[in-house]
Amino acid sequence: MSAALKDMIRNPTVAELELVARYAALKADPRRERLFEAFALTGLPHRRNEEWRWSDFKAAVGALDASATPPADDPLASEGVATLKFTPQGYVAPAFLPPGLRLLPKDEVQAMGGAEDAPLGALAAALSGAKNAPATLMAEVTGETPVRLHMVFSGPGAINAARIMFLVRPGAELQVSESHLGGAAFSAALVECTLQPDARLSRVVYQRGGKGEAQAITALIHQEAGAETKQTVLAFGARVARIETRLVHQETGSHATLNAAYLAGDGYHVDFTSHVRHGARACVTRQVTKGAVVNGGRGVFQGKFHVPRNAGQQTDASMQHNALLLEEGAEVFAKPELEILADDVQCAHGNTSGQLDAAQLFYLRQRGIPLVQARALLTEAFIAQALEEAGIHEEALRAQASAWLAI
Amino acid sequence: MLKIENLSATVGEGEAAKTIINGLSLSVPAGEVHAIMGPNGAGKSTLSYVLTGREGYEVTGGSATLDGQDILALDPEDRASAGLFLSFQYPIEIPGVPVMTFVRTAMNSQRKARGEPEISAPDYLKKSRDVARLLNLDADMLKRPVNVGFSGGEKKRLEIYQMMMLEPRFMVLDETDSGLDIDALRTVAEGVNALRAPERGMLVITHYQRLLDYIKPDKVHVLAKGRIIKTGGPELALRLEKEGYDGVLAEAV
Repeated sequence: MSAALKDMIRNPTVAELELVARYAALKADPRRERLFEAFALTGLPHRRNEEWRWSDFKAAVGALDASATPPADDPLASEGVATLKFTPQGYVAPAFLPPGLRLLPKDEVQAMGGAEDAPLGALAAALSGAKNAPATLMAEVTGETPVRLHMVFSGPGAINAARIMFLVRPGAELQVSESHLGGAAFSAALVECTLQPDARLSRVVYQRGGKGEAQAITALIHQEAGAETKQTVLAFGARVARIETRLVHQETGSHATLNAAYLAGDGYHVDFTSHVRHGARACVTRQVTKGAVVNGGRGVFQGKFHVPRNAGQQTDASMQHNALLLEEGAEVFAKPELEILADDVQCAHGNTSGQLDAAQLFYLRQRGIPLVQARALLTEAFIAQALEEAGIHEEALRAQASAWLAI
Repeated sequence: MLKIENLSATVGEGEAAKTIINGLSLSVPAGEVHAIMGPNGAGKSTLSYVLTGREGYEVTGGSATLDGQDILALDPEDRASAGLFLSFQYPIEIPGVPVMTFVRTAMNSQRKARGEPEISAPDYLKKSRDVARLLNLDADMLKRPVNVGFSGGEKKRLEIYQMMMLEPRFMVLDETDSGLDIDALRTVAEGVNALRAPERGMLVITHYQRLLDYIKPDKVHVLAKGRIIKTGGPELALRLEKEGYDGVLAEAV
């Protein structure tokens, strides 16, 4: 490894050196270099980086050996739906693609907008495309019928870096489900999606990592006029897991629903971060995040709406985060942020964290429902709102949540 | 059936603990309906919470048994499985949990605790339909989250619905008449009376005599300052209605 490469990150950790070595072994490409540099500016983000202060990847990611935990089961898998798999060895395309979907493997790394703002997204982009795989995998969605695609990100292995760029043509619709199942010591996934006018995206994300693993799932969504996104995430965390969504309303009349639920057990950390820019008039954002955390678990919510002075007029946006601390010792950190420079807007936000209601618990118990079950029932009801927009996947997600709560 | 002996209980913790039930004794034999009447602050609702095991109430003396079993030693859910049911004065809203899910879960939890098989979905639905019809409950209401957006009268009727579904052995009705108009009162009373049986007992806590026109008690107890100060037949309730509590309270001193 050249001295220049080694010096890219200041005081690198073992893991960072391994990431540099991984990068150095890939085919040289000026865009790849720029992406890796964007990552190297921060290195693995840590608590002194403002946007990462509650999710310290630098401390959490040790040596990048193969993970000891096998990948989790996939509750979203469904026969007859095209499945695209991303593993440490590269990607496996489905045998049959649904009509309206084209995969476009590119030999050159594609640029990524705002790479400096999403260092682990930039890392995923810089490290994807190992060996024979294309430098960047693009996908185009066209046609009048919705295109369904399932994507699986899982090990086994040490590093699983994956990137896919969707281009959804005007009026077309992509229904994508993603299962991020861990099985690698460090997983970094980058999903980019450009929605052209009146295009629609429904995205359902299931995340479940191992107790010794780190996962970063970054999504960049650009919406043109009249485009619509509906996103639902259910996350159980990992040693450290960050699910980040950066969405830009680029043209007027675009609409986004960003819902998420997290359940953090003992030793698990889940971070939801979102950044929504209302860069055009009369766009709508609805965001509901619900979480429940037990002793030894940690939940993080960072939500930001940015509404520029002129472009953002007539913005209609609401953000809600509610967390349940199920036991003493549970931790939740929340930072809802509205940066509103326009004056003709409707923006609201709510943020609570608390415990289950004692009166409700007593009512259930008086009817004969045992305490543990009563808690599970109330917690499931509490997070249910965040899963309501998951369409055909709602039931599977609720079943996962309910099984977790029953333990 | 239900036997309360020299029961004392406090509300609140530490220095702030206040004795509300103070040496209360009462016995309701199987097959009987007893009414408890008393002025505000006498301890009527506290008694219902102490019997059912709500947090924040501490028993400081005495006993309460149901068919000889010490209920005060049990968790609330085990008291319920033992057959004790409380119709709440202020039923609790449970957002996100449909009535059907709630009542079926409760029913099967109780059955499991008693070592009985679960109720099948068709059997449950049939029973639910029959009970709902008797109580004039809209089928749509049973699909909605428990008590959320229900009127006061609907909440009370839903309490009786749950009672009829769960078929408890001993029922405590805490001010079931409050917030009910005459028609709703009649419907609720019909439901309660349908559950009267030789093997069941009932404690009806009320402020007014009106409810007792519809649910005829075998005995009436007057509760004041945490104990029973007078016991009589249904005529005692009529006298309280006419004279107010002052007369009876003065007599007792």
